[in-house]
Amino acid sequence: MPRCLNSAALAGGCAVALGLALAQPVLAQSTPVSNVPDVLTRQNGLRVTPMSHSARVYAENCQGCHGPQGVSVTEIPTLAGRIGYFARSPEGRSYLIQVPNVALNPSSDEEIAALMNWLLYTYSGQQLPGDFKPYSASEVGLLRRERVDTAAQRRRVVDQLSAAGQLPSPAALALPRSVLY
Amino acid sequence: MKPIFARRFDRTVERLSRTAAQLVSRRSFLSRSGAWMVAASALPLLPVSRQAQAADRPAKAAGKFASDFAKHAQTTDPTQCNYWRYCSSDGYLCACCGGGPSTCPPGTSPSPTSWVGSCINPEDGKTYLIAYRDCCGQDSCGRCACLGQEGDMPSYRPQVNNDIVWCFGASSMVYHCSSAGLVGLVE
Repeated sequence: MPRCLNSAALAGGCAVALGLALAQPVLAQSTPVSNVPDVLTRQNGLRVTPMSHSARVYAENCQGCHGPQGVSVTEIPTLAGRIGYFARSPEGRSYLIQVPNVALNPSSDEEIAALMNWLLYTYSGQQLPGDFKPYSASEVGLLRRERVDTAAQRRRVVDQLSAAGQLPSPAALALPRSVLY
Repeated sequence: MKPIFARRFDRTVERLSRTAAQLVSRRSFLSRSGAWMVAASALPLLPVSRQAQAADRPAKAAGKFASDFAKHAQTTDPTQCNYWRYCSSDGYLCACCGGGPSTCPPGTSPSPTSWVGSCINPEDGKTYLIAYRDCCGQDSCGRCACLGQEGDMPSYRPQVNNDIVWCFGASSMVYHCSSAGLVGLVE
């Protein structure tokens, strides 16, 4: 709901979205809902639900570019419905942690492990292998300290997954073509 | 004729300074006083954790916040730099440019990408995530320039840097103003 509020408010369609959101049984959730003490939200009765810790880590470190739902503009690789494919091979599983904005993020190993598990289950659960084992902090700690050529590793992983018949089409993990401004 | 206490005072000072001059070399005095001057001026430069200052601890006592910005923030006027959501906003306020704190002025479009920071609401002491979304497509608005620095990191951490023109993916890379939309409440 907060994500929807953000984009809805920006689109200017706040009132409709709020009406819908408030009509939904938000109050029935286990997490407490609170009013935001703010001149605008007092007028429109905006309520927000608290975010989980991983949702917060995602929002603060990833969401700005990758979008609140894991889908963004063409320049930014899509996460939703895609990243689970990488977990289908050991190299791909490593790649998800070694990709620079994950490996070099200031968050702790524990936070990264929790974030990646949350991200995979939330946005790409359908693509995960049946025997997916969640990341542990120690695994993340070892992987993110390893220096690899991530672009070459990505190509290798995608070729392997494609050859093993793990991708519905070769384009499933294609990167956006860079656009020159 | 001087009063008696002034003469006694003069004598005491004279004795003290003569003793000091006999016992302490000029170099030692200079080096000691120099050391004190350097120490006194270097003290404020020692590294201070800004992240800890901006950390999202809830209000400890009444009116006491971990963040300096929140101590002076208000929740009623989005056209002022101290409106609570602007703790990390760097640029012209859209609320002064024909838009609102979370809406773009007519003729500009919200960038599909933004950076996300967190601000403390001074009324409930809770931390909220704020999306700093630039409005793009017109020349700089030029009104209500504000510089909030909380949680801002150098540009080698671009996802949490507010000096960047966040118009990536927008139809135009021309920056007009900065909005601050509510993303969510932090537990």
